[in-house]
Amino acid sequence: MSASQSPAESRRTAGYPKLIKAVLYREYLIFVRYPANAIGGIFISLFFFGVLFFGGQVLSGQALDDSLEGIIVGYFLWTLSLGAYQSISNDIGSEVQWGTLERHIMTPFGFAPVALLKGAAKVVRTFITSVVVLGVMLLLTGTTLALNVLTTVVIATLSVLSVLGLGFAAGGITVLYKRIGNWLNLLQFLFIPLISAPIFEQPLLRILPLAHGSGLLQRAMVDGTRLWQFSAVELATLVAVAFGYLFGGYIIFQYATRRARRLGVLGDY
Amino acid sequence: MSERLEQRGESVTPDEGRETESRAPALAVDGVSKTFGDGEDAVTAVDDVSFDIESGSIVGLLGPNGAGKTTLIKSILGMVLPDEGTVRLNGIDIRERPRAAYAQVDAMLEGARNDYWRLTVRENLRYFSTVAGVDPDAVANQHQRLLEQLELTDKADTAVRDLSRGMKQKVSLASVLAGGASIVFLDEPTLGLDVESSRTLQTELRRLATEQDITVVLSSHDMDVIETVCDRVLIMSDGTFVADDSVEELLRSTDVYGVRVVSSDFDDDLLSALQNAFEVRSVERLSPGARVEVETEGDGIYELMDWLRTRDVTPERVRTVEPGLEDLFLDLTDRAVQPTGGSLE
Repeated sequence: MSASQSPAESRRTAGYPKLIKAVLYREYLIFVRYPANAIGGIFISLFFFGVLFFGGQVLSGQALDDSLEGIIVGYFLWTLSLGAYQSISNDIGSEVQWGTLERHIMTPFGFAPVALLKGAAKVVRTFITSVVVLGVMLLLTGTTLALNVLTTVVIATLSVLSVLGLGFAAGGITVLYKRIGNWLNLLQFLFIPLISAPIFEQPLLRILPLAHGSGLLQRAMVDGTRLWQFSAVELATLVAVAFGYLFGGYIIFQYATRRARRLGVLGDY
Repeated sequence: MSERLEQRGESVTPDEGRETESRAPALAVDGVSKTFGDGEDAVTAVDDVSFDIESGSIVGLLGPNGAGKTTLIKSILGMVLPDEGTVRLNGIDIRERPRAAYAQVDAMLEGARNDYWRLTVRENLRYFSTVAGVDPDAVANQHQRLLEQLELTDKADTAVRDLSRGMKQKVSLASVLAGGASIVFLDEPTLGLDVESSRTLQTELRRLATEQDITVVLSSHDMDVIETVCDRVLIMSDGTFVADDSVEELLRSTDVYGVRVVSSDFDDDLLSALQNAFEVRSVERLSPGARVEVETEGDGIYELMDWLRTRDVTPERVRTVEPGLEDLFLDLTDRAVQPTGGSLE
């Protein structure tokens, strides 16, 4: 290849493996190069947990201690969900603002695989920070949990996938209506009732995002139930809810993007 | 029709998308229209626009604010879904094979960053090369050359956020060119650049068009840039083209020119009367008299001389001022805009 050849002439193409590497590497670079967001997130999460824990001890004493393991697991899932939701919805908003969403749309790959890869990277990133939060919470409270890595990772990941779907939907709404990110961030408080939904009393609530996953995660981390000890129906429900919301959220994002293109407001921030 | 312009699952790889149909124009736009809103609020931003652009040419797209330039560019690129019309990039219909068509094109859009400021310059080039379907390792030499040509070598490993505005603009251009697109849309590429950087960019665009057969569609308010670098100029007003020709032909086609007159006889009354009788571009007071520039066309200079003579004004100096692209642009767009009012960009 001579120096005067253009990239077009050289025709050395990048396929999906290169795209996956490029998107994940970009996420990795930003994570390690700008750790302030992640560290800030960890501190804020721990601060609120500290308020919840010490405040709860003062107010309810032994009652809190009895349900502490459940609270820690719920709080872990909440930080995980919060990170995944905020990162994907805010990230799409930033891509719109920067004009990079438009650039991705006019590539041979389109934005779809990039968005999904970014979502996957966000989940991994959020896992790392949430595990730190979990570790500090356990140390702080002197609690122990049954931490089977495979079971915890699989169930927590599948639980968070449904939230990722909500993030995509929120991102789609941002594409259409622009500066409403702060309002959409309020949705994250909805995660608390979802995580603590009474799924045993009301089995239908299992189809809501996080609810069923939260129940399984409690059993895994508090009671020590392993992945293969859950029933096929329970696991199938978890998978169906995870991919149902992920797919649904992505469809909403695609629809919103298409509508923004029709209205001429795609990059009109 | 616009529905079909949306991306859909095509069974092409980025590699296959890089094909082109031989002898097809780089860009063929046929009957593209876009109206925003409904009923009485409807505004036609682009009105049945058709044109072809040959490969390796640099075409300037001019128009006043609200003329429809950005909507046209975004309609061509599929960022805005047109109501009607077809767009072919290197012969590939963007409706029928969007992914293959998108392999031909990239764009630097006005008012957007276009790249990632938290990555370094080189990382941006590598990233946008990959998403454009080009292996960055295979074109590392080209990226290096691009960095050298845009005088970014020293900053290659600096995060874009730490660069000046002009540098950022260059990085934006570099990242657009990094993916090897054969058709490039640049919306206000010289915005924020100093004179020297702007000239470097113009030289680089010319080199890319000549040596690498890259087609450039350039939208700019900087008439000097358009006049210097473009092979052809499309002037838009009110959603449609009011001129389409080379800069030379456009300038040749206009009768409008300026006449500069210096006379010590000019006083307030005479200047006021002159402004009532002619289109006066500028007045510079002298002591005594004034220097005025009057816009005229055809034999208008004789009318001006007659007018001065009948008022006993003796011109001490008379000079004609050749029309520039800006004069022509103002003339064409004034004429076109006045009867119909503005439009949505």
